[in-house]
Amino acid sequence: MSEKQGREDAVIVEGLSKHFGKVKALDNLSIRVPAGEVYGLLGPNGSGKTTAIKIACGLLRQTSGRVELFGQSRPDKKVLAQVGYMPQETAVYMDNTVHENLALFGQLYGLDRERFARREAEVLRFVDLSGWRGALASNLSGGMRHRLSLACSLVHEPRLIFLDEPTVGVDPELRAAFWEYFREIANRGVTVVITTHYMDEASHCFRVGLLRQGRLVAEGAPEQLKRSTGAASLEDAFLAYARGDGQ
Amino acid sequence: MSPRRVLAFTKRTLLQFRHDRRTLAFVLAMPLLMVALFGYTFGGEVKGVKVQVLNADVGMFAPVNFTLPLNLEVNVGNGIVANLNYETLTISNVTDAAAARQDVDKGVVWAAIIIPEGFTRDIATALLNQSAPRPSIEVYIDGSNPNIAAAVFKSVNTALAAALQEAVSAIGGRNASLPASVEPVYAYGGGDTKFVDYFAPGVISFAIMMVTTMITIILFVNERKNGTLQRLMASPASEWEIVTGYALAFGLIGLVQSVVILTAAMLLFNIQIVGNVVLALAVIMLIAFGHQGLGILMSAGAKNELQAVQFVPLILFPSVLLAGLFWPVESIPAYLQPLAYLIPLRYGIDAERSIMLRGWGVGEVWLDLAVLVGFAALTLCASALLLKRRR
Ligand SMILES: Nc1ncnc2c1ncn2[C@@H]1O[C@H](COP(=O)(O)OP(=O)(O)OP(=O)(O)O)[C@@H](O)[C@H]1O
Ligand SMILES: [Mg+2]
Repeated sequence: MSEKQGREDAVIVEGLSKHFGKVKALDNLSIRVPAGEVYGLLGPNGSGKTTAIKIACGLLRQTSGRVELFGQSRPDKKVLAQVGYMPQETAVYMDNTVHENLALFGQLYGLDRERFARREAEVLRFVDLSGWRGALASNLSGGMRHRLSLACSLVHEPRLIFLDEPTVGVDPELRAAFWEYFREIANRGVTVVITTHYMDEASHCFRVGLLRQGRLVAEGAPEQLKRSTGAASLEDAFLAYARGDGQ
Repeated sequence: MSPRRVLAFTKRTLLQFRHDRRTLAFVLAMPLLMVALFGYTFGGEVKGVKVQVLNADVGMFAPVNFTLPLNLEVNVGNGIVANLNYETLTISNVTDAAAARQDVDKGVVWAAIIIPEGFTRDIATALLNQSAPRPSIEVYIDGSNPNIAAAVFKSVNTALAAALQEAVSAIGGRNASLPASVEPVYAYGGGDTKFVDYFAPGVISFAIMMVTTMITIILFVNERKNGTLQRLMASPASEWEIVTGYALAFGLIGLVQSVVILTAAMLLFNIQIVGNVVLALAVIMLIAFGHQGLGILMSAGAKNELQAVQFVPLILFPSVLLAGLFWPVESIPAYLQPLAYLIPLRYGIDAERSIMLRGWGVGEVWLDLAVLVGFAALTLCASALLLKRRR
């Protein structure tokens, strides 16, 4: 690879603002995520996490500011093919089987038959749905559907993945496995941008950014945030920042 | 545009229908049901149509210039009454023309057949003198059911021809060309007489339109609601590929539908297709493409399935009433006709009818085809652009 892997920025967000009418969903947000990092976006409901991810994936148009993925502000197909996106909603085709859902995304991202077969087996094993390949998505449990949704965003081996609350409704054991996997692929150079409400989980991130009313109120490694606020847990650190900003 | 990605959408959509048996059943059974309903309602033999007959004909004695005894009485009116089809018609004889017409207006009977007093005499005059006015029988009819109207006219015309022939041979003549006519007066409705053949192409086009529009709206409402559309948008697939992929799927579904309907129509109702079947199917595909685009556009205006269903009457009624499904566009009120020309389905029905019943080819239906191609191009492009729009 020609890029200096692990050093270049996979995601650059600069002065990003998004207004929905009077609501400022994002307010001058700036974030840089170097390649090979697991970056956690934290924040209360409505703080703008989903909005930020959607703009980064080109699904929403920002009011102002700039987003770059791998150095491109208007990502072309080549770059998009290396990006994965898992929406907050469980976005799978209910009347299709697990396999058909995966096959659609495999084909959209240009995987050939052989590579798809290998990847399908891999991601199904990872989300623990190997035995459900032929099942209709509508017949899966809520958590299983969510796992399928995650599998769909990973099947093409993206170099950059945006995951909007991937662990919601997933049981603790599998959740631990997920985080292990995210850190593992990050060590292989994959960039993971993830949102979550679970503070205990967020400590798995290399760095986290705390969003509040569309603004970044704190950013850093989880340990560092805890230390600087003197809090025992990330949750307390988060509350401290939230209060500090609110006053 | 990558054919692989386009086909990926097509395949997924078709597979969805394979799993969703109920929707599949709807897609195939709805048009079949419509054909069966229309076929049996309008296509069966007409029997026992209530009519009133007023025979005022006084007849005449055979004219002197025929080489027969003077005392032979001829009454064509009686001949007609005797020759009416008593299976098709249930006849009551009346004497008051105004009251008979009123009964038609009130819907008591379907028609009043009024034979004027000097009918036989006037026929004789017309036979001898080409320039004399041709006498006529008045059929005051409720034309609201074209099939019934057609049956009444057929019976009266046949009876008139038979009665004339009898009268002419009774006085020793040979063939008589008809110097008399049946004059239809419509109480309601128009005078389309080929209803049975008429409905099949219309029903097929209509069914394709309904199914395609409805299912597209619902599919896309779900795509938006479930977040799958966002997922597609974040992938390298372009809006054009999405729209084309879906269009192919619906084109194929339309094809299967029309083959099923055509087969059923031919087996159950003896409908003859004189024209080119391939061209007929191509028109079906065009209708499906255009309405699929329309469905995507409409889906943008609906947040959930409930709202989507509210579009049904909006597309259903104009098409049923104005697009020439049951009656020709020419027979709807003049002030509504311009509206009919704005309904794309009209051109589809018109083309299908011309191809299937008249055996017309591309050379004759090119205008319909052009409108359909234009409509499809317009709605598909607009829907791709709509998907492209970011908020
Ligand atoms: N389509 C929209 N129209 C109007 N307002 C919107 C829209 N989407 C988001 N918002 C507003 O933008 C703000 C940020 O929403 P966003 O979905 O980004 O929050 P979030 O951090 O993802 O919250 P959650 O943790 O609940 O997922 C909220 O106030 C929300 O009401
Ligand atoms: Mg969110």
